[in-house]
Amino acid sequence: MSLSRRQRLRLVRGGVYTATVAALVLILLAVDWGALGGALFKWEIVKDQFPDILTNALRNTVIFTIFGFIGGLSLGLLLAIMRLSSVKPYRWFAATYIEVLRGIPLLVTLLILGFGIPIATGWQWPNPYVQGSVPLALVASAYIAETVRAGIEAVPRGQMEAARSLGMSYTRAMATIIIPQAFRIIVPPLTNEFVLLIKDTSLISVLGVTAKTLDLARFGRNGVNDTANATPLVVAGLVYLALTVPLTQLAAWMERRSKAGRR
Amino acid sequence: MRRISRIAAPLLALGLVLAACGDDGSSSTDETTAAAETATADTTAAAEEATGDTTATEDAAVDVASLGLIADGKLTVCTDAPYPPFEFQDETTKEWTGFDMDIVREIAAGIGDGLELAVTVQPFDGIWLAPKAGTCDMVASAMTITDERKANALFTDGYFDADQSLLVRTEDKDTLTSLESLAGKTIAVQTGTTGETYAQENAKDATLKSFDEPAAMFLALEGKQVDAILQDLPVNAERALKDDKTVLTATFPTGEQYGFAVAQDNTALGDALNAGISELKANGKYDEIYAKYFAK
Repeated sequence: MSLSRRQRLRLVRGGVYTATVAALVLILLAVDWGALGGALFKWEIVKDQFPDILTNALRNTVIFTIFGFIGGLSLGLLLAIMRLSSVKPYRWFAATYIEVLRGIPLLVTLLILGFGIPIATGWQWPNPYVQGSVPLALVASAYIAETVRAGIEAVPRGQMEAARSLGMSYTRAMATIIIPQAFRIIVPPLTNEFVLLIKDTSLISVLGVTAKTLDLARFGRNGVNDTANATPLVVAGLVYLALTVPLTQLAAWMERRSKAGRR
Repeated sequence: MRRISRIAAPLLALGLVLAACGDDGSSSTDETTAAAETATADTTAAAEEATGDTTATEDAAVDVASLGLIADGKLTVCTDAPYPPFEFQDETTKEWTGFDMDIVREIAAGIGDGLELAVTVQPFDGIWLAPKAGTCDMVASAMTITDERKANALFTDGYFDADQSLLVRTEDKDTLTSLESLAGKTIAVQTGTTGETYAQENAKDATLKSFDEPAAMFLALEGKQVDAILQDLPVNAERALKDDKTVLTATFPTGEQYGFAVAQDNTALGDALNAGISELKANGKYDEIYAKYFAK
């Protein structure tokens, strides 16, 4: 072909734009907007979701997430330090723990711990929040441990050497020099982890829910049963977004700020 | 010029697409209708030829083309399985079996030249909307006929009487024998079921805990997270029979009936299923299948 590179590029680009516009138009024409609105966003049903979806469902989702994250972060930090320890059994334990809990789906872990422990030991979970949050935190800690470990390893080796040569102990250098710098590095992946956790709370309802412990997803699904319409699910999805989008934006802002700070 | 052409090209494409769409829409509908008509004519003709007797074809000549099946030659059924003894997988053959599945398989075999049964498993939550959504042709999932569900799906005649019942741990068999005795206790129900509605209306002093599936409820009962399970009698009865740790202590006659559901506008399939149910009841097949799963 005698087309120059530039002409070819322009041709390809024109083709891509045309195809995109054509696809959009096709979709716009194919969709019956009235029926779609009636099935997915019926205004009377939207109004019925409030305020319960916020005062009850959102509250429960937030409680599960916060318990899960605090537990997961503390345990994850401990596991990351064990993973980097010079004591072999610590390393083995941490590595095995992480592999096992990362390799089993949260749904299965929830069922095994939530139902299995009471059946096997006779011990009862004190309340549904603990029953749901503990498995969530255990699984989250495995992921967080790997994130924290990567963060610690990303701190230049010289930092530890300098701290030790100033006479700090290993523990003190870790706690006051390395980990604070590591956290700055892992804020974005940690936020990601937090967002994943928010969404994972929707699985906790397999352990059974009472009217008081409904999470957002279960609330939406119950709404579908009550109204025979998908609107409650869409509303639940929007509430999830209202929770997750500001968080990811905050993380992006913090990342920009920390980059500027380091320059 | 260059600038213009960059904007003009998509616009031109848009125009073409619009024009094409207008044409396409009408012509394709025509084709479908025509095809359907030909198919109808063919089937009827074939049926008449085969028997050579117009009166005898009444029964057999269910017009398969008018049933709107999503897969040719197959009756695709949505069900929330396993839910023994109504729907579960046979351990050796891996075939979907159970009371519902056997009945539907029998009916499907009698439609047209015989349809094969295809099974799609999905959660019970809003399952009656599945035929409307095009996931399957019909729902057979031990589903009670209710007015609310009728508003969104076409139900067949009832094919099974199902009352509600209470399942408790064996050690509680003398104390937890009624809904009153469960005041302050926790009752497990399945989300979106008539059992849940019944408990909400009649067990106001108890805490209700809803689960996605019976398996989770049985685990919760064994782990003492709930004190009783309120659900359809046949499922609880089956569990009590297989599991020494649980016992059935009460039944609540509710006059509920199970029905199959199809999309609201699919009266052809609804009629075919009703005809199938009456036929099975008339020729003894129904009783045969009933005896297989519900020993008296």
